[in-house]
Amino acid sequence: MNENVFIENLLIYAVIPLIKIVVIVLVLSGAIAYLTLLERKLIAHIQVRLGPMRVGWHGLLQPIADGLKFLLKEDIVPAKADALIFTIAPAISLIPAFLVFAVVPFGPPDMLQDFLGWTLGWFPFLNLDEATTERIAQNAIASGGYVTDINIAVLFVLSVSSVGILGIILGGWASNSKYPLLGALRSTAQMVSYEVALGFAIIGVLLVAGSLSLVEIVQNQQQEQLWYIFVQPLAFVLFFICGLAETNRLPFDLPEAETELVGGFHTEYSGFRFSLFFLAEYANMIAVSAIGVVLFWGGWLRPFPSFEWLNFLNFIPGVVWFLGKVFLFLYVFIWVRGTLPRFRFDQLMQYGWKIFLPVAMANVIVTAGVILAFL
Amino acid sequence: MKAMEESTVLDAKVLELNMGPQHPSTHGVLRVKLKLDGERVVDAECIIGYLHRGVEKISENRSYIECVPYYDRTDYIAAVSNVYGFLLGVEAMMQIEVPKRAQYIRIMMTEFSRIASHLLWLATHAIDIGAMTVFLYCFREREEILKLFEALFGARLTTHAFRVGGLWKDLPPGFVEAARKFIDEFPERVDEYEQLLTKNRIWMARTQGIGVISGKEAIEWGLTGPVLRGSGVRHDVRKDRPYGGYEEFDFDVPVGENGDTYDRYLVRLEEMHQSRRIIQQVLDRLPDGPVRGKAPKIVKPPVGEYYSGIDGPRGELGYYIVSDGSAHPFRVRIRPPTFISLQVLRRLVKGHLMADVIAIIGTLDIVLGEVDR
Amino acid sequence: MIDFLKRIFLVDILKGMALTFRYTYRKVYTEQYPLEKPKLAERYRGAPRLNNDPVTGETLCIACDLCAEICPEDLIVVGSQRDPESRKKVLTHYTFDTSRCLFCGLCQEVCPTNAIELTQDFELAAYDRRSMVWDRKRLEKGWDRIDFGKDYHK
Ligand code: SF4
Ligand code: SF4
Repeated sequence: MNENVFIENLLIYAVIPLIKIVVIVLVLSGAIAYLTLLERKLIAHIQVRLGPMRVGWHGLLQPIADGLKFLLKEDIVPAKADALIFTIAPAISLIPAFLVFAVVPFGPPDMLQDFLGWTLGWFPFLNLDEATTERIAQNAIASGGYVTDINIAVLFVLSVSSVGILGIILGGWASNSKYPLLGALRSTAQMVSYEVALGFAIIGVLLVAGSLSLVEIVQNQQQEQLWYIFVQPLAFVLFFICGLAETNRLPFDLPEAETELVGGFHTEYSGFRFSLFFLAEYANMIAVSAIGVVLFWGGWLRPFPSFEWLNFLNFIPGVVWFLGKVFLFLYVFIWVRGTLPRFRFDQLMQYGWKIFLPVAMANVIVTAGVILAFL
Repeated sequence: MKAMEESTVLDAKVLELNMGPQHPSTHGVLRVKLKLDGERVVDAECIIGYLHRGVEKISENRSYIECVPYYDRTDYIAAVSNVYGFLLGVEAMMQIEVPKRAQYIRIMMTEFSRIASHLLWLATHAIDIGAMTVFLYCFREREEILKLFEALFGARLTTHAFRVGGLWKDLPPGFVEAARKFIDEFPERVDEYEQLLTKNRIWMARTQGIGVISGKEAIEWGLTGPVLRGSGVRHDVRKDRPYGGYEEFDFDVPVGENGDTYDRYLVRLEEMHQSRRIIQQVLDRLPDGPVRGKAPKIVKPPVGEYYSGIDGPRGELGYYIVSDGSAHPFRVRIRPPTFISLQVLRRLVKGHLMADVIAIIGTLDIVLGEVDR
Repeated sequence: MIDFLKRIFLVDILKGMALTFRYTYRKVYTEQYPLEKPKLAERYRGAPRLNNDPVTGETLCIACDLCAEICPEDLIVVGSQRDPESRKKVLTHYTFDTSRCLFCGLCQEVCPTNAIELTQDFELAAYDRRSMVWDRKRLEKGWDRIDFGKDYHK
């Protein structure tokens, strides 16, 4: 009996989460690789050209070729660079980008219930009886569509993602070169200022949801039968704009503006280390999209949960809805890049501090007032 | 912390930054030595000459006919107008009559080359400021013009467009229709660029009030072309000293008001429309006849000096030809418009931010092949 | 007022976005170069060719040296010999340095017999400079373009 409890706990708290982590990391890496292809293709079609066409059918194997190229390239550390910091900076920037996904709910808490109940039977050596299997499958930690559900998830996301900036700063500084240094300085200022506005934009949602747990935020949207974008449209717009700035995307890609700073903070990087920065940027893009979907677009919920006549949509699992929405976000990210010019540095700061921040604060105050007065 | 000890970057008050000659936005091999205080430009110094090939000197060792292909390669973006300016000078010295049809076709092609050049300018200017889609849209239209060049001249970029006394060959079949098709579609395309840029708040923020120069000062610096017209001075060689038959056509000279990057942008867009108007008129009134006048086999202008200035896409493009009566020019001096407008860069960028340097280099529309020659 | 509202609702930016969206699903302009060969204009001035008389197969060149004379780069070398019987100049050798050519077309313009001609071949890259100097044999044959074919890049 004791042994059974041990195995049960081991499965719930260690083995199954570990498997989930591995799956998420693998899927995410693949997603990033193909996101680069999507970006190149989409931008190409916006610009009436074709994009990659040669490697595989319509360039489908291009990400793999690119990855190989990065791996095989010579890894140069400039003579004057601080070798240690120069080498670890890309990792510092990449790891937090992946860490965020620990708390992102891809699906509802009972997403894997049936799946677990079904697969656990395949491992006879575990000697699980039916009740234990049932209990494992019922356990939200094991069967949820996420790695973990912590009650301060939003704070976790914000703090972890600010660590990523450190990688950029260190990378730019350790290169000991002027263009990267300027890029690093820009990114410091930019991310610090936009993080504030981003935080305030999120607070609006938190006030409505009354929770910091991403899972609960989605569940609340389910209960209220309403996505928060309809409650907090302004916060969403702010979130999206600040998200663009946080991920260094056009029109806010100043830290790496290649026509001004050549490559910004990664000017001196080449080969594999450069690819880590590159991956981090795209992982951040996916992370911001995922958080945006959870906070504003009802996470794994189908569109218009309150409309009964749309119930036939329920056969599509939540995770598909979630991924579909993330895809839409990414599409818009890329589409914006294909349309807009780039801000200048001082304008970016002005927008951040003089427009986005006050508006976000006003949004918080109004939301709080409305909640106090009417609810 | 090795990097920290060695780093003089952080404690230096003024950061000296080398922009170019290998920099994506210096339009070739311009090198600008910037002195930065943070991101603000304290001083800038242009270092040129990386593309110097000695075209003027080469000309002294070639016959008048042989020089012409080299002028394609000074301002390679608008090769047609370069050749045009030189040939007008040679023809005037020798009093060669150019047939009407050739004159008209020359004007049409020069205006096409102005459009192509402005398209390339818009493309690079836009991508410097981050709008990369405009870049490819402009290149698409430019490609159509290059196809016309290819059909008529036999080359796309270094066209060797005209010959002494007229053209190499008459228009190929189907050319007029293709040209008409292009100019019919063109305004729509310009509207698309405008939709992406003109009213876009980011574009306006990046260009308005950047690199302001007053009309008076622009004249003092010797600026010509769109850079001068952007400051409100209505100066256009085509109107002031008409050449090659321009007086027969009807067009306006657009001018700006504030003399900033945004106004220069608007002026150039409007110039494309005006060029289109001229092409339209040429196509409507194209006379029949030969395309090559009576020119001697060996071109030997009489002893003397002649200045022929035309309005190239970048400003007044002048050729000062000195002849000693032989088949080789004694001296050819080219007045390159962008060499002169590049001088003003230092004055324009002072006090602006680093990102503006790129916008200002873009708005001056320099071609290093012409600056360095 | 309307301007202000337009600013708040990002009308300028949305208009641009609409334009790029429309383009996303339009026909592309790309020409896939090595797979599709571009159709060049008839007048295109590319690789040189020394033409032979299509009937007799003899060279059209009369070794008048005009092309070498006009060439701004002086890259054409015409070698000739006087035939002792007919007292005519006969071409012995002819070289053309494609690496220095301006492709200005002056040589083909002055040629009285249309012997030297610039053709529509434009793939002139070579692995070393020496092979860019074409001799008479190569000029008469024209450029033997390697046709990569459709499968080469798959
Ligand atoms: S094309 Fe011009 S440069 Fe080339 S060989 Fe003929 S004349 Fe000389
Ligand atoms: S001009 Fe023509 S005929 Fe005369 S040498 Fe040259 S190729 Fe031969």
